[in-house]
Amino acid sequence: MIQPVAMQDFFITFFSSALIILAGASYALLFAWSKVNANFRIKIAAYVSYIVLIVAVVLLTRAANFTGYWLSLSAVMVVGYFFAPIGIWHLCVKTHAENHHKTLEEKL
Amino acid sequence: MNAKELCGVANAKLDTFVTWTALDRSNLSDGRKLAVNYFIVAVILFFAQLLFGMIAATQFIFPSFLYGWLDFSVNRMVHINAMVVWMLYGFIGCTYWLLEDESQTEIVGLKFGKLAFWVLTIAVAVVVLVYLFIQIGAGNDTTLWLINEGREYIEAPRWADIGIVAVVLTFFYNVVATFSKGKWSGIAGVLTLDLVALAGLYLAGMFYMTNITHEQFWWWWVIHLWVEATWEVLVGVIMAWSLMKLLGVRRKIVTTWLYIEVALMFGSGILGLGHHYFWIGTPEYWLTIGGFFSALEPIPLVAMVVHAVYDSGSHAFKNGNHPALAWVIAHAFGNFFGAGVWGFMHTLPQINLYTHGTQWSASHGHLAFFGAYATINIAFFYLAIQHWRGDVWMSGNAQNAWRWKWALGLLNVGVVGMTIALLIAGYEQSFIERAVEGSTWSGYFSAQNHPSFQSAMVWRWFFGLMTFAGLILLIWDLLTIGKGETRKMAVVEAE
Repeated sequence: MIQPVAMQDFFITFFSSALIILAGASYALLFAWSKVNANFRIKIAAYVSYIVLIVAVVLLTRAANFTGYWLSLSAVMVVGYFFAPIGIWHLCVKTHAENHHKTLEEKL
Repeated sequence: MNAKELCGVANAKLDTFVTWTALDRSNLSDGRKLAVNYFIVAVILFFAQLLFGMIAATQFIFPSFLYGWLDFSVNRMVHINAMVVWMLYGFIGCTYWLLEDESQTEIVGLKFGKLAFWVLTIAVAVVVLVYLFIQIGAGNDTTLWLINEGREYIEAPRWADIGIVAVVLTFFYNVVATFSKGKWSGIAGVLTLDLVALAGLYLAGMFYMTNITHEQFWWWWVIHLWVEATWEVLVGVIMAWSLMKLLGVRRKIVTTWLYIEVALMFGSGILGLGHHYFWIGTPEYWLTIGGFFSALEPIPLVAMVVHAVYDSGSHAFKNGNHPALAWVIAHAFGNFFGAGVWGFMHTLPQINLYTHGTQWSASHGHLAFFGAYATINIAFFYLAIQHWRGDVWMSGNAQNAWRWKWALGLLNVGVVGMTIALLIAGYEQSFIERAVEGSTWSGYFSAQNHPSFQSAMVWRWFFGLMTFAGLILLIWDLLTIGKGETRKMAVVEAE
């Protein structure tokens, strides 16, 4: 069963939903960048983005009246957005790891 | 002037035009000539999409504009149908373009492919003319077969539906027979399986059920599984091949990521479709399924962000076709914001209850379709035109580069502007029409007449005009880019 968003929470629902995706992407971007460029400040910025994401998830959870099993969606977003960039980065490294010296013709 | 003289004049004008473009078809294989035919019709339909969109946008501001001659319902229908069909033409063209290269053999059954192209093109022309000349009237079994099927977004009459399936099956035969004769690859496998779905899922929109919920359930299969799932995979295939050619990315990498994309689509995208089952009378569990899996849909977009940073660190985006790469980058951003941000903002059932079917949906639709599909087609047009010109230089310091840059800017700013204008209109509509006045008829008119809605429609018109100007510049650029260029394209170093 769902409890629809109250009228006064329309804006915060749209805003927090958008912020989840933007903060998630920002965290992913900065996390990946911190791997390419070993600058500690970039890593800090990545974790700040992640904290923004958590705040956005909390706001959405309250505005969209998540109760019962809907709360697990909040948990999935918090956990999933943290680990997804890490897993994807490992996939990037693995898929790019070998055959660096082949010619273009051999590769295509 | 009689008809014969008129044809003579038209032929002479066409010859002059072809000479002016200075495009040499001898640079193309037979398969790529067919692909180019698809691209040409795609661009014409893109023009039609924007033209009818502009007329419909004008009618939002001046409701009496062309009333009785070209009604809003018809303009909107042609606007959306032209969009669906031009993108389909683009994807089919892209596939014919890469088919010989990927399979390393000539296309099998090309004459059937050519026949299918003309059947489809004539059918599209007839369907549009019927839409325009028979705009209103009673609906019955005859009109369903000959005039309009009456289903939003897939209005084509039944005879045209059958034609579309026949053309897709011919296309499927070309692809499978060519790969079977030549060389199979991971890209070939994914493409083949996707084309089974492309032909198969369309069938779900070709029969009626008496229960409106059942009817809507299957209708969404065409609107969303066909357009979102099968097209997304097709774009993945086209992108995979393009990245190998454009950036010299290794086959193993693109194939692996193509498999990952398909896995993510099965893991989240298909069930994420559930957000379209929220309010059509389906069981309540669709609220949960649609909500949960929609929340997972942005994961491929996060993957894209991470991979883009990885590639920029290891490859620095060196490439031999700057306009194509610019449009691929526009694709990445457009897809992320249009499908990801704009989608998730109103996808959960707790808020979708108010936004579903308002201008919110139109806002999301404009940016998502442009970002996910139009951009990748345009990128491919630039790849094709470069080869058509004889693999000429299209990197830094290219002649008249301002044209593609301005076309890119106008089209993107125009679509983003329309998206924001529609977002404002949709916010007001969902608030006043849905939440305050409870989806009543008077609520609908209150929302439509609200100053913020009407102002938003004016802004949408303005940005629509900007988009239209961008398209005209894009067409001019596609016809002239590389003309007179003597330098050969920059060689891309593979990773």
